[in-house]
Amino acid sequence: METVVITGLGTIGCFGTGRESLRAALAGSAPVLTEVDRSAGLHRDDGSRLAALARGSDLSPWVRPAAARRMSGPSKLAVAAARMAIADGGLEDTAGGWDETGVVISTAFGPTDFTERLLRSIASGGPETASPSYFTESVANAPAAQIAIECHARGPNVTVTQREAGAVIALGRAAAEVAEGRARRVLSGSVEEITPLLHALLDRFGALARASPGRREAARPFDRKRNGMLAGEGATVVLLEAESSAVARGARILARVRGAAGGFDPTASRVGWGHGVEPLAAALLHLLVRVGLHSGEIDLVVSGASGSRAGDRLEAQVLRKVFAGDPVPPVLAPKSLMGEYGGGFLGAAALAAGGGDFGATEGFDEPDPELGVVPHAGGRLAGGRVLVSSLAAGGAAAWVVLEQP
Amino acid sequence: MSAWGWGYQALRDGLRSGRTAIRTFSRFEHARQRTHIAGEVPPEGSPSAPGSWPRLSRADRYALFAADEATGEAGLRAPLDEPGTGVYFASATAGLHESELYLAAAWAGGKARSGLLASQQLNGPGDAVARHLGVTGPVLTISSACASATLALEAALRDLRSGAVDLAIAGGADSLCLITYSGFNALRAVDERPCRPYRRDRAGMSLGEGAGVLVLETEAHAERRGARPLAEFKGAGASCDASHMTAPQPGGEGAALAMTRALADAGAEPDDVAFVNVHGTGTPLNDVAESEAMRRVFAERSRQVPLTATKASIGHLLGSAGAIEAVATVLCLRDRELDPTPGGGEVDPALALDVVLDGPRPVGEGVALSINLAFGGANAAVVFGRWAAG
Repeated sequence: METVVITGLGTIGCFGTGRESLRAALAGSAPVLTEVDRSAGLHRDDGSRLAALARGSDLSPWVRPAAARRMSGPSKLAVAAARMAIADGGLEDTAGGWDETGVVISTAFGPTDFTERLLRSIASGGPETASPSYFTESVANAPAAQIAIECHARGPNVTVTQREAGAVIALGRAAAEVAEGRARRVLSGSVEEITPLLHALLDRFGALARASPGRREAARPFDRKRNGMLAGEGATVVLLEAESSAVARGARILARVRGAAGGFDPTASRVGWGHGVEPLAAALLHLLVRVGLHSGEIDLVVSGASGSRAGDRLEAQVLRKVFAGDPVPPVLAPKSLMGEYGGGFLGAAALAAGGGDFGATEGFDEPDPELGVVPHAGGRLAGGRVLVSSLAAGGAAAWVVLEQP
Repeated sequence: MSAWGWGYQALRDGLRSGRTAIRTFSRFEHARQRTHIAGEVPPEGSPSAPGSWPRLSRADRYALFAADEATGEAGLRAPLDEPGTGVYFASATAGLHESELYLAAAWAGGKARSGLLASQQLNGPGDAVARHLGVTGPVLTISSACASATLALEAALRDLRSGAVDLAIAGGADSLCLITYSGFNALRAVDERPCRPYRRDRAGMSLGEGAGVLVLETEAHAERRGARPLAEFKGAGASCDASHMTAPQPGGEGAALAMTRALADAGAEPDDVAFVNVHGTGTPLNDVAESEAMRRVFAERSRQVPLTATKASIGHLLGSAGAIEAVATVLCLRDRELDPTPGGGEVDPALALDVVLDGPRPVGEGVALSINLAFGGANAAVVFGRWAAG
């Protein structure tokens, strides 16, 4: 079994483009949020108005104009992030060796804009008006396929669709492809677009943060008065390879993948979180045992807590159970900064292993005594061994342990 | 679960019959479509329904029925809450049909029932299975178009081998929906007649719906509980054409690579293959690419390896195609006979392959290969063998 490392990171989100933009955002710059078009009337009257969109980024250095014309928004974002990850890893995608490169990408909802356009066209003009090009790019695996086409990656090509846990599941599966010798490299990550329709539907289900008396609209991870998540879009892709190959080519290593695991909470509803602390904690403890660690050896938690009332409660309960009376190590909860979806969370985790300056948790004001977990208050973190935790609506959960090489 | 009905025996009987279940359908209005047929799951035969059944999407219901049948046949009973039990599922449409109903109502200004959307998510069927069976181990949904379920089976195999799980509920579920029906019509990829894979006059695919689920477990786990295996899951492999979003490589290089990787993973040689359950959509491009892949893998023997194409009988189940085709493959191995491929007419002489046509054919010794090729160039193959003690 090969040890697997992350040697490149490409990311696009509301924070801008590239690893350093993400790092600056994590260090404390204010999130750049966008007012969402609510004119269709599908939002709740008192519902969410903001999203962390990635609309201002110039992707032209990364996506050929001729190729971009036939791509959906998520495909363009994913290809750009993949190319960034390759460049960040000190490689060129025109160089040899890409035949054995896999692609494992997650998306929660797929290319929703093209799907909506297609359906609107069929609804208004009949099926004969359906656009073949919209249809081709409406499938969930279009971004992963376009990465393969643009980067000549002929290894396994997999699209994971497991809501909020997808990015971490994808990373774990990608690492296994390299570790078990089925791929020389893997481009792994997550991509999402937030359209007004998707934003409205999430809002109708009560998933999104909204303004409340005396409080602006913000996602507030672990906060006593949290009331939902911030919808975010973008793409993040990491380049994975065997540590031996990275060392041989003198590559800079961002993090080593120590292990990954998944679990499921069968008490969850189709669109929410449940109360299955015991099974999820057991699955996470099993992962730690399998990789030869105990909870006291975790230096930092990068939490997928998003500001959801039930999701953050479950996340906190699982962490407390796993750390079993010991203090929970510092907890980064970056989703209030870049939003749920789009993989910025994954990028934050990859950077966290190396340590650095991390700002106070966006949106957090008041600890919730019920949770017993307080997110990072701002300041320098040493990095080290990072537990990345991601619990999804619907019941799925995934964890990965990253460490500083 | 297929157009032949509810349950694997209905599928088995239908496939053996050499007839097709692709016919006119009623799920949604299709008067203005180019084509008017599909492999629609018949309404009769609904099982005793879980309490949540009325709120679930069709794809979720198909998934639950197939999972209940598979676990029941395997002698398992919920809750399957050991941490070493996982769900590995696939879907390309999930609750898209229900989303279409919701949005049509919402856009028309009418009252739209939000519950219709709750199962829209692609992870819906897999999550529904995990929730229904009380699973607490890893749950994974893959949506890589037509290769999804075969990739999900591979993921389960990897986790079984690594020890992450020792029992896996693996499969896929999809339902017919307006968007995919219109989209494939827009691409002119569907035939006005039931699809005729590998025939000289083939003119496109036929869409279908349903679910397939396999219970996979380590040999040790099966022995411990006294289970009698149906087949051995010997290997899997995947690749990507990395060339075009909809057209397969004409030379079949990517498909051949997936097949070669699967055989190597199974510790088998091309000469060990007793039959292939091909992707066999019936589109002119797919069948040429796949036949070229066969030539790359089997060389001169490609003319002698018997082929079957399940899609000719039940249509293309998209993300779950690989699951029900794996079910069909395992049943062929168990019963030592290969299903015919309906469609009539002669095999395209340019393809020069041995397609089983008119009735079941005895299967010789060896392993079975099942392959799926997807939109976006994703290719995946799995290898099954007879259970040695079976």
